[in-house]
Amino acid sequence: MSAPTQRAETDLTRAGETGVDLSDPRLTRFDLVREGARRNGIEIVLYEPRFPVPGSRVERRLERVVALLFLIAGAAGLGFVIAYIWWPWEYEFGPDSLSKFYTPVLGVTLGVSLFAVALALVAWVKKLLPHEIAIEERHDGASSDDDRQLMEATLANAGQESGVSRRPLLKGALALGLAPVGLAVAAPLIGGLIRDPHRPMYDEVGVSRQFHTGFHPGLNGGRPVRLVREDGTPIRPEDVSVSGQITVFPGIPGGTTNEFADSPTLLIHLRQADADELRENLYELNQGSMLGNFVAYSKVCTHAGCPPSLYEQQTNRLLCPCHQSQFLITDNARPVFGPATRSLAMLPLDVDEEGYFVAASDYKVPVGPSFWER
Amino acid sequence: MTSIVKPSRLKRRKQQLKEMPAATGRGLDERLQLASPPARSFLNKVFPDHWSFLLGEIALWSFVVLLLTGTFLTLFFEPSMDEVTYQGSYTALQDVEMSAAYASTLNLSFDVRGGLFIRQMHHWAALLFIAAIVVHMLRIFFTGAFRKPRELNWIIGVALFWLAFLLGFTGYSLPDDALSGTGLRIGHAIMLAVPVIGTWLAYALFDGPFPGELIISRIYIVHVFILPLTVLGLITLHLIIMFKQKHTQWPGPGRTNRNVVGERFFPRYAAKQGAFFFIVFGAIALMGGLFQINPVWLFGPYKAAVVSVASQPDWYVLFLEGATRLFPAWETRFTLFGEHYTLPNAFWPAVLFPGIVAITMFAYPFIEARLRKDKGIHNLLERPRDVPKRTAFGAAALTFYVILTVSGANDVVAKVFDISLNAMTWIGRVGVILLPAVVYLATYRLCLGLQQHDREVLAHGIETGIIRRRPDGGFYEVHQPLGPTDERGRGGLEYTGWTVPKKMNRIGALAPAVRGFFVPLEKAAPPSPAPTRAALEEPGPNGERPSVEEASSDQKE
Amino acid sequence: MLAGVLYTVFAPGLAAQDEPLSNDAQQGRAIYEQSCISCHGNNGQGVPGRGPSLIGVGEAAVEFQVSTGRMPLARQGAQAEPKPPVWRGEELERNVRYLSAYIDALGGGPRMPAGTDLGANGDPAVGGELYRINCSSCHGYSGGGGALSAGAFAPGLLDATDRQIWAAMLSGPQNMPVFGDNQLTPQEKADIIAFINTLSEDGDPGGVFNLGRFGPSTEGLAIFLVGIVGIVIATLWIAGKS
Repeated sequence: MSAPTQRAETDLTRAGETGVDLSDPRLTRFDLVREGARRNGIEIVLYEPRFPVPGSRVERRLERVVALLFLIAGAAGLGFVIAYIWWPWEYEFGPDSLSKFYTPVLGVTLGVSLFAVALALVAWVKKLLPHEIAIEERHDGASSDDDRQLMEATLANAGQESGVSRRPLLKGALALGLAPVGLAVAAPLIGGLIRDPHRPMYDEVGVSRQFHTGFHPGLNGGRPVRLVREDGTPIRPEDVSVSGQITVFPGIPGGTTNEFADSPTLLIHLRQADADELRENLYELNQGSMLGNFVAYSKVCTHAGCPPSLYEQQTNRLLCPCHQSQFLITDNARPVFGPATRSLAMLPLDVDEEGYFVAASDYKVPVGPSFWER
Repeated sequence: MTSIVKPSRLKRRKQQLKEMPAATGRGLDERLQLASPPARSFLNKVFPDHWSFLLGEIALWSFVVLLLTGTFLTLFFEPSMDEVTYQGSYTALQDVEMSAAYASTLNLSFDVRGGLFIRQMHHWAALLFIAAIVVHMLRIFFTGAFRKPRELNWIIGVALFWLAFLLGFTGYSLPDDALSGTGLRIGHAIMLAVPVIGTWLAYALFDGPFPGELIISRIYIVHVFILPLTVLGLITLHLIIMFKQKHTQWPGPGRTNRNVVGERFFPRYAAKQGAFFFIVFGAIALMGGLFQINPVWLFGPYKAAVVSVASQPDWYVLFLEGATRLFPAWETRFTLFGEHYTLPNAFWPAVLFPGIVAITMFAYPFIEARLRKDKGIHNLLERPRDVPKRTAFGAAALTFYVILTVSGANDVVAKVFDISLNAMTWIGRVGVILLPAVVYLATYRLCLGLQQHDREVLAHGIETGIIRRRPDGGFYEVHQPLGPTDERGRGGLEYTGWTVPKKMNRIGALAPAVRGFFVPLEKAAPPSPAPTRAALEEPGPNGERPSVEEASSDQKE
Repeated sequence: MLAGVLYTVFAPGLAAQDEPLSNDAQQGRAIYEQSCISCHGNNGQGVPGRGPSLIGVGEAAVEFQVSTGRMPLARQGAQAEPKPPVWRGEELERNVRYLSAYIDALGGGPRMPAGTDLGANGDPAVGGELYRINCSSCHGYSGGGGALSAGAFAPGLLDATDRQIWAAMLSGPQNMPVFGDNQLTPQEKADIIAFINTLSEDGDPGGVFNLGRFGPSTEGLAIFLVGIVGIVIATLWIAGKS
């Protein structure tokens, strides 16, 4: 056994159970530390200096290392400040303009600075501070019997003072009085948030947005809504090549914005053979929704609402990139793979007198992800 | 005249300055009794010293970095969905219509000095925060640190995990870029999938149909006020309870269920903690500077018709994403009183599944205590091998989680490794059922095997590698017993659930093993006079030397 | 017999052949009959189950498929894979020109503009908006490409030349839809190409490692492999191991 451990044990016996007399002039400062810990229920069982002989070469070298680390921290910190102020930071286009290194330089200087502080601190504590083992007693489990008895009495007394059990009137009044107060607090918090999903959003139309999209003719004064590009321009059939697709929006004010997030639609120009196949497969619901070899499907997935717009013109599939549902274009966009269970809704197509695409009516089923009362 | 007064006044000043700390201390003590035993016990508090006890600290310090960097970001971010036209310095989005939230994110990235750096640090700190929570939770789980009396702290920890999850989700939704908008859209669909009240719930949160005009400002107040405050409160409570109950410790020489062996809080432990804060902060700074994260300028503003292949949420949401991707196309539709109702597909993997996971996590300490009929108080940790069933269950659950997480990015995996996307989905579907069972059985056997070997070494001693020949011609290997033996050479040491030395150099009988990656061969052992005395004369409870600490100090001399 | 006669009259490919082939087209036919005919059949009629008809696909398709090495096909699979083209340098250019002339002679089709810097007068910001609505769903926000159904994939765009991108939009190779000039005008095509060039030419302002611009999936990997691993190594150094 090494010497310091021995010393710790003799101190323990000298101190005994009663504690030491703090006025004893023979006590060292560490004796006081040990006594303080002991009075907290902690025994320092090992306390040994790393360097029993102060000022050794190893110790001086360690001191220098720690000092150097702090200086590195300072230098890197200074580097950070300098780079922060003077490095060209404004965005420039280009593969390796100097400004592209602004963020890396900040990160490296700050990171090195912080790491150096950490290294210095740890080296200091681990290599220079005395090595110590202390043992603290635990006090688990319930409080002492006395304490519990006193606590119980205190609580019971409070209950008795109020006399709730003796005074049923008060008890009832308490419940009846406070419950509405609680409700009054909760009401605006919850009530203010409530929006009826079934309430018509546009009084003149009388339809709920949960069940209808921007292609509802009611939003266009009763006339069929045009299909438009993202910039609002209408589309003629000859604008879409065979095996081509185009994302279309309702041609109403705000129709291309997120205000009508349920409305984006994929207009596809099928090859002759594929169009024939689709015509053969058409659901009852979708009869008459195609226009020539054109078909339009909702661009909102029936599973989780992402745009299933990965149009594969050879396999005739629409793939949703979020959960990989795959819809077969030549069969009413029926899901053939992945978690989706419902076909994409088909938008009934027509052309107006100027030869632009319009929606003959709104979608015949609610588009987008499933919900309870669908 | 004045020239004579000055030096003495200066001297007095100097003296006063020197005494200032002591004087301040006295003054504070007169008012607050800072020298009383409770205050001293705070400084003297003993903490056990083990690297695995620092994992939770990573989360703590990342949270501090999150608060610091997040405050900076609020100075520039504008939580509004008003349409603006971008006029900042990023050329590829010039004159594009976007929400004010997205425009201000671009501005703070490109037109605020150091803004991109701070934003990236914030995001890395967020990823690190939740990663550290998960790793910390795994440590608590596999070592049984959640057992009585610490169930309450486990519950707080699980709550913190889910709150961190929400903090992360709300945080990355804020920039209103096309990727985060897609995430929000899926979140909306998951709300719709809640039975009965789905549409009402979604309409309440989004103030109407998706996305409405308020969701960003609502998410903002939740992200910068409600959730951080709750998390801060719970972290404080978590630490107070840990302080009050004292930290658990590994079994070992001198360590019992009734004590804590370690270092006092002040100054050693506190200094190490301080240093660790700098390490976590430094790591986040390095990552924030060197690794580009969430380049929102590449994604563009959120438009309902815009999407990208490889759309993923941040990593901690991937397990839900994976569950949603793998779940088969099941949806229940039924008619009740003439009305049609749907139980949406997303309900199972995205509402019910996380609900079950959360409840299981909260209830786990009580479930295990009941199964093991264990009402005792435990302050000593268990090695994973000593509780094979828990370890195997944990490993299986982890496997399940990892497969779901990887499946959440299965299109990226399919692209990078050139595997069919549909095949990836099926690999995930089969793997998520099959692999956890395999891992359970394998882990269970592994635990038993490791235990068995420990017991064997305790009974027969360490294999020395020395082969002797018996008079009858047979060969045997000499074993070094770890403690006193009976006449048949069997050791009588009890199995105590702590490391059993298995090599001669672990008991000091050979030169210490060479550490490090770059030294290819261990040096030959110096010729030593028989096994050392330390090993033979003073075996600890496990046959180790009397105290590990002493041994390490021996090595240093 | 009658059907045969009718076929000869109405099949556009053969009708076009009535005019004498230009010099280039004749060279093109020689190459075609050596390298392409086994899958695309006589006179580009196509062979069911092996290769589609090439009548009317135009020179854009030839340029895209041959210059990216997709054609001639190495093997039948989910999708033709890009590989180093069979010819190099000038020979490649020349042969593409010959084949284009031949395919054009078979049945016309969309034509490619001249020049190599087709994104020069494009506006990247406008192109970005068009890109995100038309292209990013398959090729990704940052042009890295992505997986499609059942083994098919959308290739990364950052290494493609301006001409290849233009040709792909025009001809809709493999599973890619066609974006004809009536849908995306030549100016809009130039905008899109300008945006893709921005993606490939602009460096990453956020650090020296861009993690493949994949977004959260690689970022999640990095936080564990770099962040957690690095800090745990630090804990091993700071704190005890027993």
